[in-house]
Amino acid sequence: MAAYHVVMVHFPIALWMIASLCIFIRALDSGPLGQAMDRALPVFLVLGVLAGALAYLLGTQVWPWQTLSSTPMGRNHMLVASWSLAYFALLAVIRVLHGADMWNGMARWVMVLLSGIGVVLVGITGTLGGHLVGNYTEVGEILRLLGWEIYTTFYVPDMTLYIIAAVSVVLVALGFLGRRTRA
Amino acid sequence: MNTIKLLGATALFAGTLVVSWITHGGGVVSDDPARNIAIPETLTVPLQVQAAYNADTMFFRYRWPAERPGIFHDMMLFTDGAWVNKGGAVPGSQPDGLHEDRVAMMLDDGSVPEFSRYGGYITIGQGLATLTDEAPEEVTKYLPMTRNTLGQWDDMAPDSVQANLRSAGYFLDLWHWRGGRSNPVGAADDQNIATGRDGDAGGSSYGTNWDRDLNQPKFMFDEATAGYAALKWDDVMAGTITQDQTYALISGQAVAYDPAHVWQEGDVLPRRFVRTPTESRADIAVVGGQGRWADGFWDVTLSRALDTGHPEDDKILRDHGSYDVAFAIHRNATGARWHYVSLPFSLGLGHEADIVATPFVGRTPTWGDTWTDVTLFYPGQVTWPMLNSDMHAGAGSIAQGIPVAARHSPEQLANYGIEVEFRQQIRRQWMLTLLAGVVLIAAFGVALNATISNQKGA
Repeated sequence: MAAYHVVMVHFPIALWMIASLCIFIRALDSGPLGQAMDRALPVFLVLGVLAGALAYLLGTQVWPWQTLSSTPMGRNHMLVASWSLAYFALLAVIRVLHGADMWNGMARWVMVLLSGIGVVLVGITGTLGGHLVGNYTEVGEILRLLGWEIYTTFYVPDMTLYIIAAVSVVLVALGFLGRRTRA
Repeated sequence: MNTIKLLGATALFAGTLVVSWITHGGGVVSDDPARNIAIPETLTVPLQVQAAYNADTMFFRYRWPAERPGIFHDMMLFTDGAWVNKGGAVPGSQPDGLHEDRVAMMLDDGSVPEFSRYGGYITIGQGLATLTDEAPEEVTKYLPMTRNTLGQWDDMAPDSVQANLRSAGYFLDLWHWRGGRSNPVGAADDQNIATGRDGDAGGSSYGTNWDRDLNQPKFMFDEATAGYAALKWDDVMAGTITQDQTYALISGQAVAYDPAHVWQEGDVLPRRFVRTPTESRADIAVVGGQGRWADGFWDVTLSRALDTGHPEDDKILRDHGSYDVAFAIHRNATGARWHYVSLPFSLGLGHEADIVATPFVGRTPTWGDTWTDVTLFYPGQVTWPMLNSDMHAGAGSIAQGIPVAARHSPEQLANYGIEVEFRQQIRRQWMLTLLAGVVLIAAFGVALNATISNQKGA
């Protein structure tokens, strides 16, 4: 499955990169170019998520679970791939649900922030995938300088997990609070 | 109001990402003596190597950094009227700074097929002493084919097979210099690895300085020559005892223990005496009398006959021959598996290789400034059975014979070695982190969706 995974990952990468470019242009430009980008955006995002999900599924078949979950690079690759998929799935859902309204006010810059993080995550995912098959890049060195030795598993301590859980609850509460305010 | 909510949600989300980045990697890796886990602060150490040979003798010179010279192994301290052992083995560094420094070199002539590709990893079988899952009896390094089944330390191949393996050269020659137990007599311990890590035939360079029948030490220093009958504990602890004074109980120089001597609180005697090794075990000598520590570095030169005449104990070396070597050092008062090891290197006697042994004429080589730089690394608890199992993504590469150096660097292997020591804990934490990240993204999506909906409604 490794070869098919490698072939497949290029589709979400391309689609998500162009989707991020569309978001960036639309955030800066409300004119005809920006409008055109916005119209194309849901296609890129939804196709990207579908292709990403398929690539993710193929990726889980490259090695047995025991192998994937026992090796630092395998773990890291799967972790950032999961988050990349989640980010762009979020962007796709927001765009599909809200259409052009998502460009009102501050929301457009949040979209830029999210897509930016997504691009970085996809880049790291690809870098780690390259390392897994023996194609090394200096991106790993940049991450090392930023504080992450990529040959160690990325995980957070229990205290941070609790913080994430608490923040997640607050965010969901903010969401429900917002709905009640609207009602 | 919605803008404030949106900004608040975004700030919370971004802040959590920052906290995750800052705190990642914490909370799991820590020393756990109960599980034989002690992680060194420094994961890699440089070693420099030179090699040369003349018509009949091979020379290796090693140089590596060590903050203090580990010239003592374990000791006996006189306290409250009795001799008490100090410096027993512990996971990691011995708290009193006792345990000798060492340099070791495994050498093969191609008879052990995996050694040139995977070096010392092939000797780390399941159940070795000081692993977290060590066997109930002491098991030392062994080669895979000496067992019937990979991963079964006690499933020994039949004696007839062992004999055939040995005569076919299926063993590793082990040059093992010991800062406390061989260096004082100008020798290195000549050993080999096959069914275990064993000494070559003959007598070792050390014995235990304790008479069980008389319940007292066997030897003490000769006051007439050393100037003292015992060392002082405070001096040992302060590191003020040097190689320029008498610090080892050498058989033939030390004198029989005298219980009538007025022993004082804080007197200390080495728990090992050293002696000249014999037979095949005495093949390796230290050039210059002793390896010397100075200015934070050990400088050790070993020599051995190219042909020792012991082909089933030693790898016989020949002019223009090709061999493989791998190195290890102990420093900072460590023993057992708390060493630093190297990947395998090729050795060429008079021809191109990773380490080129230079031919010369004369008794001793004139070393130049050309060294082979070796990066030693802490290996953790990576075993050969594990590397060949589905716990290792590279098991297939091993099956294909792809060398470890083609895939991994020493720095990478040091990190992987530590990860293996905490495999279950890290895997759990990784899975929780992955899920937590997805939950956080989804939760932010809920907040984002609501605020955008409100903007639309407004």
